[in-house]
Amino acid sequence: MATIELRDVTKDFGGVQVIHGANLSIEDNEFVVFVGPSGCGKSTLLRLLSGLEELSSGEIHIDGERVDHLPPARRGLAMVFQSYALYPHMTVFQNMSYALKVAKKSKQEIEAKVHAAAEILQLTELLDRKPKALSGGQRQRVAIGRAIVRDPKVFLFDEPLSNLDAKLRVQMRIELTNLHQQLQSTMIYVTHDQVEAMTMADKIVVMRNGHIEQVGAPLELFNKPVNKFVAGFIGSPAMNFFQGKIISANEGAYEAQLDNGAQFKFKTKAGLLNAEDKIDLGVRPEDLQPNQDGSGKIVGKATAVERLGAQTYVYLSSPIKESMIIHHAGDLDVQSGEEIEVSFNLESCHLFGPDEQRIEFDG
Amino acid sequence: MAQAIDTTYENAVARRRNLRKLWLAFLLFPAMAILLTFVFLPMASAVWYSVYDWDGLVRGEFVGLANFQEVLFDARNNKFLINAFFNNVKVFIALMIVQNGLALTLALLLAREPKGYRFYQIAFFLPVILSTVIIGFQWKLFLNPIFGLVNTLLRNVGLGDWAMPWLGLPETALGSMILVNAWHWVGFPTLVFLAAIHRIPKDLIEAARLDGASEWMIARDIIWPLMAPAVTIIVVLTFIGSFNWFEIPYIMGGLEGAPAYSTDMLGLLFYRTAFGSVSAGNSDFGTGSALAVLIFIFIFTFSTIATRYLTSREVELS
Amino acid sequence: MKSLRKIASMAVLSTATFAYAGTALAQTELDFWSWRQEDVKAYNEIIAAFEEQNPDIKVTFTAHEATSYNTILTTALAGGAGPDIMHTRSYGSLEAIAAPGYLEPLDGKIDLSALSADELLGTTLRADGHVYAVPFASQTIVVFYNKDLFEQHDVALPETWDEFLAASQKFKDAGVIPLANGLADAWTMEIMSGAFLPNFYGKDFFGEVTSGATDFEDERFVNALEKFAALKDYMPQGYEGVDYATMKQLFSAGQAAMFVGGSFDIPTFVSSGVNFDIMQGPAAEEGGPRMVATWLDGGYGVNAASENKEAALKFIQFTATQPFAQMLTDKLANVPAVDGADISDPMLAKVSDFHAEATPYIMLVAFRFNTPTGSTLLQNGLQELFTGKKTAAEVAADISAGIKSAE
Repeated sequence: MATIELRDVTKDFGGVQVIHGANLSIEDNEFVVFVGPSGCGKSTLLRLLSGLEELSSGEIHIDGERVDHLPPARRGLAMVFQSYALYPHMTVFQNMSYALKVAKKSKQEIEAKVHAAAEILQLTELLDRKPKALSGGQRQRVAIGRAIVRDPKVFLFDEPLSNLDAKLRVQMRIELTNLHQQLQSTMIYVTHDQVEAMTMADKIVVMRNGHIEQVGAPLELFNKPVNKFVAGFIGSPAMNFFQGKIISANEGAYEAQLDNGAQFKFKTKAGLLNAEDKIDLGVRPEDLQPNQDGSGKIVGKATAVERLGAQTYVYLSSPIKESMIIHHAGDLDVQSGEEIEVSFNLESCHLFGPDEQRIEFDG
Repeated sequence: MAQAIDTTYENAVARRRNLRKLWLAFLLFPAMAILLTFVFLPMASAVWYSVYDWDGLVRGEFVGLANFQEVLFDARNNKFLINAFFNNVKVFIALMIVQNGLALTLALLLAREPKGYRFYQIAFFLPVILSTVIIGFQWKLFLNPIFGLVNTLLRNVGLGDWAMPWLGLPETALGSMILVNAWHWVGFPTLVFLAAIHRIPKDLIEAARLDGASEWMIARDIIWPLMAPAVTIIVVLTFIGSFNWFEIPYIMGGLEGAPAYSTDMLGLLFYRTAFGSVSAGNSDFGTGSALAVLIFIFIFTFSTIATRYLTSREVELS
Repeated sequence: MKSLRKIASMAVLSTATFAYAGTALAQTELDFWSWRQEDVKAYNEIIAAFEEQNPDIKVTFTAHEATSYNTILTTALAGGAGPDIMHTRSYGSLEAIAAPGYLEPLDGKIDLSALSADELLGTTLRADGHVYAVPFASQTIVVFYNKDLFEQHDVALPETWDEFLAASQKFKDAGVIPLANGLADAWTMEIMSGAFLPNFYGKDFFGEVTSGATDFEDERFVNALEKFAALKDYMPQGYEGVDYATMKQLFSAGQAAMFVGGSFDIPTFVSSGVNFDIMQGPAAEEGGPRMVATWLDGGYGVNAASENKEAALKFIQFTATQPFAQMLTDKLANVPAVDGADISDPMLAKVSDFHAEATPYIMLVAFRFNTPTGSTLLQNGLQELFTGKKTAAEVAADISAGIKSAE
């Protein structure tokens, strides 16, 4: 149970800066997910927190106490590795008790803690086995168990589910969420999978190229992405973007034209945009609906249709945009190769200016 | 009709299998021939020689195990045998501690990749590729009591009292040779250990670090058990090398294990017995071969037991 | 047509055969093996002189590495691939190859009249009394001394043991190493003992100990060892680790006043340019004998399995003649075993003069026939004596027990 604060944290490896001044506050008992494409610095940020890497500059505070000068073990953190990092020559019990042994805890205390954790994780039967004799999911649980017995203030997870198959992944996702409820401690979780982020997080930290792009609750990010990158990254399937430009700007009243010729008007703060500015209009697949009655704004050819029963995905190709995707709840009577028309409501769209930052519609 | 097709199919499979076997035999042949000619044949002939009486190099009559009895129980021989054997034991223990202990320390240090570690890695390994003969002679010169580098250095830094005829005193000769051997070979176990440490996933070390383990605990609890296969190899090779030790003591102490047999080794004793020496007497192939067979049996038995035992404590890195 | 071709081919064939036989008749090729790598040039000159008189014989001299020569030679002989002629060692080492029948007995086949019985003893197999090699040179143990250092420190040449110790002390006080000898190469200790022990144990001991009338625990021998051990105070600092090369270096560089070595060391010191001379070891007492220990270095033998025995014997006969002996002393600075050579080298002449009072180099001459050899026992005993590990009496007891166990 702890609050964490990062202040202007930077990290460079041999002159290459990989974290650019990260600032972040994490509340007590929060489940925070760092998400972003590979190479965005999310794992590095986690390792900086853990103490496995040293900061280049900046400060880290846990519970108000500055910790960035402390060795990993003294920060009160436990980490679950992507590879699980179980000690192969030790039994499950030994793996889970190693930290306690190192801390010179009494035998009774070690026994009690390991058994309690094993109980939670249903590992009691496996305590005498070596990691080699465990399945992937069991190993995963041992790795978590090893973290639990230490009673850490903060749990760190580095892509812990990426080595599991899809079904197990979903199951573990739920188990981890439950575990969080049960343990009531701060957890930081790194993943590149935005579905994991959306389903598990109290707070998502979206990262790109060593920058924190946006921090917020999952739905906040989904509904109000601060920039084009976050908009494209959060949500599955990804948002469709249409390019266009401002054709007139007048005291907060603007007129824009998309590349397909469609024009629309909107209002926002005066001076935000100028004529000839390039804009992107983002439309989520579920907001792009087939216009059965023919009043649609975009005409495209269905290149592929995926029918999942409860929903249908249609991949469209049109002269203005090579590929877009629409998500329709329920079945949709479209065949691959057919031409269809789609339309969207401007209110449900996301507008991004020439600097790719979000522009809020005003009224 | 269907049956007929089946048989042809089976025949074809069988033919193919035989052809593959033939091909494998063909590929194995050169290696087997070399092994047979240069390993098994000499071994067999040593056993054969050891049961005959020899007059120099002329084979006499069959004497059964008399040569073995002479080597093991004749008071004239067995005091040399016992002396040489315990010298070999000393060498093994000392090399395990000095050479391999140092190698392990160096490997643990190098594994942390300190500045310039590539340079050190090469520097430590360099003596390994030098010829043992050259190293023996070079160190014999370094250890020369009057002109040698070692004593000169000691005198120059004010430790003149420590300047000693290192190879001339029974108390220091064997130790000096062991150190020379360690200097010569330390790079090899270092490299093997280093490779073994590098094979250990970094995550495991980091996990231990997060578990609060000190560097020493990480070395003891994580690295050491996980490098068991490398340790097995090095222990067994050191054992074999120690009991076959020949070049360094031969070059630096001579065939008689000077001074006063304090550096006598089973290998030197075998050489003297089988081939004779200018001052030590005439060659005797019978007892020499018997001694060789005994040394072989000893080394083979113990290294097999050691390998079995050590392998049992190895863990596969998944 | 057919027969014509047959005749033609026969003609070609017979010409070829004839040509082949012609060269074979013209020259018999002999292989000559030795351990004297430093003497290759001189031997080739000597061989050239022989070939001039015997144009039908061609001798090829091959020198092997000295310390492994015995092994190489015996292995080759056992495998039937030995040379026609070979350098053999003497005494026990000769027996090692003579006893199994690898060598051709020479007495009766060639004229050995130019050799003394004493000298022939070194190449005679004790078991059958036959001579198996022509002795080539004797070696003598002498004390080398640096004339400049003796002059510079005003030291008189010591004639008795007491004078020797006094002279050594004087050099030591002056900061000069009295004796260059060290322990590291055990065989040099045996050599060194050869200059001192005989004068202590006396003329009769050799005969008595070889006949079995006494053994090495004899008071005379123990006393000799005890006296000899006193010299460790006059050897270089760290003498325990001083090897043969270092000893020669110390003496050549003028850092040591004396060095006990063999006559085979003379050429080294001549070429090093040090101003030296040689003397016998000191007498035990005023007026006592100053004996030098000598032994036969080796001989020339013929392979019993040689296919060119006749030619080989011809060459061996040549080695038993005065002209050969003359070349041996002129070109190789040896004291030849064969009589009649005129020794022109003053140093060698001096060695030859020392032979007036000679004693057999005891362990090599008499106790190198069985294992353990007397040499091994003495060499290791001396190392123990000089490193203080054992007393003279203990060393003598070890040697005595070792010699008895070998019989």
